[in-house]
Amino acid sequence: MLIKLAWRNIWRNKRRSIIVIGSVIVGVVALIFMDGLNNGFISQMLFNQVNLNISHIQIHKKGFNDNKVIQSFIPDKGKVEHVLLNNNKVKHFSERVVAFGLVSSAISSSGVFILGINPDDESKITTISKSIIKGKYFTGKKREIVIGNKLAEKLKVDLGGKVIALSNRPDGSIGSEVFRIVGIFRSPSSEFNKAYIFVPIKTLQNMLGIGDKIHEFAIITNDYNVTEVVKNEIRQKLNGNYEVLSYRDILPLLIMQMELYKETMYIINLIIGLALIFGIINSMLMAVFERINEIGVLMAIGMKNGKIFIMILLESLLIGLLGTAFGLITGIGLTEIISINGIDFSLFAKSLESWGIGAVIYPKLTLENLIATLLMIPFITVAGAIYPAWKAIKLEPVYAIRYV
Amino acid sequence: MEILRTENVDKIYKDNGVPVHALKDINLKIDKGEYLAIAGPSGSGKTTLLNLLGTLDKPTAGKIFFENSDYTSKPRRELAEFRLRKLGFIFQAYNLIPVLTALENIEFSMMLLGIPEKERRERAKTLMAELGIDDLADKRPNEMSGGQQQRVAVARAIVNNPVIVLADEPTANLDSVNGSKLLDLMERMNEEKNITFIFSSHDKQVIDRAKRLVLLKDGRIVDEK
Repeated sequence: MLIKLAWRNIWRNKRRSIIVIGSVIVGVVALIFMDGLNNGFISQMLFNQVNLNISHIQIHKKGFNDNKVIQSFIPDKGKVEHVLLNNNKVKHFSERVVAFGLVSSAISSSGVFILGINPDDESKITTISKSIIKGKYFTGKKREIVIGNKLAEKLKVDLGGKVIALSNRPDGSIGSEVFRIVGIFRSPSSEFNKAYIFVPIKTLQNMLGIGDKIHEFAIITNDYNVTEVVKNEIRQKLNGNYEVLSYRDILPLLIMQMELYKETMYIINLIIGLALIFGIINSMLMAVFERINEIGVLMAIGMKNGKIFIMILLESLLIGLLGTAFGLITGIGLTEIISINGIDFSLFAKSLESWGIGAVIYPKLTLENLIATLLMIPFITVAGAIYPAWKAIKLEPVYAIRYV
Repeated sequence: MEILRTENVDKIYKDNGVPVHALKDINLKIDKGEYLAIAGPSGSGKTTLLNLLGTLDKPTAGKIFFENSDYTSKPRRELAEFRLRKLGFIFQAYNLIPVLTALENIEFSMMLLGIPEKERRERAKTLMAELGIDDLADKRPNEMSGGQQQRVAVARAIVNNPVIVLADEPTANLDSVNGSKLLDLMERMNEEKNITFIFSSHDKQVIDRAKRLVLLKDGRIVDEK
């Protein structure tokens, strides 16, 4: 009956209750949308990097990630292949040769990372094959090269044009090769578009005189959430000559930025929560003061302070639950609709590209955030009712009964 | 059998900072089953005395005993429990809970006692039939007349079989016909259920029909009949 009483008490002043519930709905929608936008932002920032080049896990000779010298080859690639083929959480892997060098056209030159790849394997690991804006990914010819649009602009080259790539060989001499541009890509990261070029792995191995040696295995797991587990499983199977690194190990700054964004969201959530709490305190105080006489009567007929306290908290909880329910439906619906086409931040596009995010952000809901909102908002509305409920039970029945 | 006793009770309260000596040296004994009116001019202390007897307020000096147990210094929680189990209240302004129906208003104090829903519903309906107000069961207070609301208030006051019902100016907002009907009802409850009724009133009807009259003037008992 207390719940029935609390429910009916809410609707004594319909207008006020609707306004308060409305404010809760707006708060919930704001939280859900902000969380979704933030998640989308962070996910795109991370997964653009992962999907462009980093992949979920990389395997090198120990020390290669900190010091990418040409001589740091994978000690036994057959052994590594065997380990990867026997792990059912490994979805795909690709071999790579990694060199730092120079690429030149007739007009200009630029320092670049030269990645020697097997196009078929690599297309299952990264999204470069889907980022081609001119030409093709690779057609199978030996001296094909795929470069980024920013690099093409700098070198003033286009499809079919020739460029020369140079790099140090292990013996200290310079290896070079002429390549024909078969494809130009555009990724969400402007820096990546300037700094990376892709060539067939055998061609690069010949250019560097390294036989069939490689520097890197790039691995995609079945689910990025199990990356750390898979990393540890692979580590256990390989000896200390190898380093097995997840994307978290390779991009520590980015991971730190993501954590910082998450912390920022907590602060935003706190601010929204505080705004809601003060609204609830105000509304519930008014509801209590309007009923001083009635509260006095309830005390007179024997209702204890504890039940009066609970009754007022229940009223606030019901408001919170109603607002949360409608807010969740509205917030989820709105975020899902917007996430179809994303939000175009073209005005800020240049800076977003330098972060590797892209001009369009797709909000992304997570169950964790929805559950947090579902629990947090009713808690806030109950917390906001504590002071008014305390004021109510401090009333002296003899004066409350006579209050006009 | 004595049920309620005051010993040298004084009550001083502050009105805008000015001390008001509302009751002076009140010594009163009330037996079980009495039908008693506390009467007197405005400001004589009737309501103050009723509030003290009903444990809604505490005396500044003196003691109040219920069934020989001193209730003067008991904590609020215990007094609330005592009022729930032993006392019933009828107010001048009826003071029904506006969002509950008549039936629910009567059930409310049984709910506070933890009586299961089915049982309290049955008891409430039986009592309403007894008092001739069963047609009001689903009506809210704003759908009832003053007389009807006060009859529901009587039902609420007696549904837990209290030992004492305290009624503060119960007929003040009723016309004489409805006031008379209300008094008929309360007299019947007094006779049939042996409930002690203590009224505070300056209504002649109430005073004339009381079996015992305590007259107050300037906070003192000046006469008893």
